[in-house]
Amino acid sequence: MTALARIDDLHISFGGVAAANGVSFTVEQGEFLAVIGPNGAGKTTALRMVAGILRPDSGRVFLDDRDVTSLPAHARVRLGLGFTHQIVRPFYSFTTIENVMLAAGHHQTGSPWRAIASRSRAAARKRAQEILERIGLADESEKSPRALPLGQRKRLEVARAIALDPKLLLLDEPLAGLSSVEAATMADLIRTLPGEGITVLLVEHNLGEVLRVADRLVVLDAGKVLAEGVPAEVMKRDDVRQAYTGVV
Amino acid sequence: MLFVELIVKGLAYGCMYAMMAVGLTLVYGLLRILHIAHAGVFALGAYMVVTVANASGSLALGFAVAVVVSGLAGIAIYRLAYQPILHHAAFVPMVVSIGLFIVMQEGFRMIFGAYGIAFDNNPWYVANLGIAGINLTYVEIAMIVVAIVLVVGFGLFAGLTRAGIGWRATVTDPQMATSFGIDPVRVRYLNFLFGSALAGIAGGLVGLLNNYVEPTMGGAVSYKALAIIVLGGLGSVRGTLIASLTLGVVEAFGAVYLADVFDRDAIGFLFLIVVLMVRPQGLLGRK
Amino acid sequence: MSSYIASIVSVIGINMILALSLNIISGFCGQVSLGHAAFYGIGAYTAAYLAKLGAPLPVTLLAGTIMAGAIGIVVGLTSLRVRHDFLAVTTMGIGFVFLGFVRKQKWLGGELGISGIPGPGLDPLVYAGLIVLFAAAVIVFSIWLKRSWMGFTFDAVADDEDAARTVGVNVSTYKLTAFGIGTALAGLAGGLYIYFARIILPDTFDFVQSIAILTMVVIGGTGSVWGVVAATIGLTLLPEVSRAAADYRLLIFGAMLMLVMRFSPGGLAGLAALVWRPKANS
Repeated sequence: MTALARIDDLHISFGGVAAANGVSFTVEQGEFLAVIGPNGAGKTTALRMVAGILRPDSGRVFLDDRDVTSLPAHARVRLGLGFTHQIVRPFYSFTTIENVMLAAGHHQTGSPWRAIASRSRAAARKRAQEILERIGLADESEKSPRALPLGQRKRLEVARAIALDPKLLLLDEPLAGLSSVEAATMADLIRTLPGEGITVLLVEHNLGEVLRVADRLVVLDAGKVLAEGVPAEVMKRDDVRQAYTGVV
Repeated sequence: MLFVELIVKGLAYGCMYAMMAVGLTLVYGLLRILHIAHAGVFALGAYMVVTVANASGSLALGFAVAVVVSGLAGIAIYRLAYQPILHHAAFVPMVVSIGLFIVMQEGFRMIFGAYGIAFDNNPWYVANLGIAGINLTYVEIAMIVVAIVLVVGFGLFAGLTRAGIGWRATVTDPQMATSFGIDPVRVRYLNFLFGSALAGIAGGLVGLLNNYVEPTMGGAVSYKALAIIVLGGLGSVRGTLIASLTLGVVEAFGAVYLADVFDRDAIGFLFLIVVLMVRPQGLLGRK
Repeated sequence: MSSYIASIVSVIGINMILALSLNIISGFCGQVSLGHAAFYGIGAYTAAYLAKLGAPLPVTLLAGTIMAGAIGIVVGLTSLRVRHDFLAVTTMGIGFVFLGFVRKQKWLGGELGISGIPGPGLDPLVYAGLIVLFAAAVIVFSIWLKRSWMGFTFDAVADDEDAARTVGVNVSTYKLTAFGIGTALAGLAGGLYIYFARIILPDTFDFVQSIAILTMVVIGGTGSVWGVVAATIGLTLLPEVSRAAADYRLLIFGAMLMLVMRFSPGGLAGLAALVWRPKANS
């Protein structure tokens, strides 16, 4: 396996409180990696630094051996990064399929010149339709995201990210707020992505589902990597159990 | 002496801007509306002062009427123009506000005539007070005194009284305030009442200062007041006060030293644009 | 009579270019601008200055367009830095800075503006036709833009900038593009205006003019090309219909702004959609 992304010694603090205090790990090509940890461990912060939404105080992020630390989020998307927000952010003025189409047409929107010269949305619509079918939203394609319940909005968020054809997909708590049935369906869906060449980096609270679907775990605690490895082994470690239960 | 005189005159104007800008900040802080029609309230106050003072011979009565009428106009504006459209995106109330401002301005033109009205008797206009070589008209002194009294009074109200604390709570967190039994709608009315009365007084003072009241007089002042609330970081009363005084002084100097390049009204906005380029969140605003 | 028609048609054409150009910035890309008349003025002053120096019409129009667009991009840079509400006040400020500047420039005629601008060298009716041709081109361009991927991306930027970044959109580039195109077209309108008016005054490009342009866009329906076209024709002809409408033009504009926003924030286009597709929005 080769490293697709490398996170190297990230530090960031908010108002003097360190949310990341030397976070380092690598994401291997084609794997399903989950980042877990107790509340306040800095999981989402780490993910947002990888995505480029937050700028670390120090440390580097590499994608395909390229240093992307100084690139803004949209430029990282152009290099093959996709991400979903914990709190879904669909375009509410678009229909469901249009949300996915805009992402599927990412080749057209790369530069204003190309954007103004291209008109046909047929290819993007076809691709978006395929993705919606796969993700189980085909019947909602002409609806407004406002009309979708949370579970479907979360799927739309994932569909939009998949439409970017990312090499690495960052998912920020895609299961949060879902019922247990919905969560299991979503986890199964995400599970299929590495098989299609999309490496997944998942931040998630729902331990049961994570342990069921992830290839490998990184455990964060207090802004640092506490442990990493195969789920079964990681979860046996005393320090990990302590971090979770708070029993010292 | 010019240097000191410019500072003092600048502060006098700054005080007048503060009276305008505080009202705008209150409205923005509570409703997120850029209340452009505040300019109309300002001119309304000026018209009340000049017509009542000319008719009765009493400037005090003129200001009393101006305070009441402007305050009530503010409440009417909230109730009739803004309240029905609060659920729309910010663009909608802003456009309504522009429309309302134009309607008011044209209304003044129709009622009071296009050419403006002068005071029959304006002793303050000519009377000068020379202190240590600095010449100030009585109106300029009045602007400083009135602004200080009103703003300090407001500060005491907001800091010490029950209603004031309720008001601050509502501005900070309307939902929380509601759950503590504060009626947010009453606070809004209070905001418009107080802010509009202040604008009316400012309008009257500017009328006295120029010895002239005209339909479009609200324009320049309230556009600058908008610039001020942006400089102050939108929604912060303290930032607004500091920005008001700063702009008054910058303008006073600019009007002298940049006179060949820009007119007075442009200087405030030039200052705004330069500041925003350096500090997009305003002088005191946080990111 | 023919000169009257020529002048009405010219004014409609110029207003249409102005309204459609603001529509690209505010309607398509969602960026508020309360100082659009400044770019109209920049185009007019640039073209007038060059025309007085003897430059031919194509050169002056092009120069006015480029100058307005270039300054528009610089102004657009503020839109990248400041919050939405700030932008309204900043763009309003641009209008005042422009006016405050030209009023003080002796070489631009100061308060008196520039007069004695040479004519276009065309019959007024032919020149009106030329303006209409430009207006038609701007309509076609607007429709193209709206349906292109750029229009799609503008919609996304107007809706949610953060979400747009999530799908790889360089929000800054697109905003600057909108400002660049919109202000350049306003500059073109300014260039066309000078050969028609032959004299320009600073006050032609004041805040009230910016609001008048905004009124056409808002009443037509922000973002709707045909709505804006219809509103422009209607509002421009309004003062011609009756003396009273001419006297109270601004009052009517103000009242319409309030009423339209209160009852149909989508403008004429929104109303039309309600009438023709009453169930589409449910």
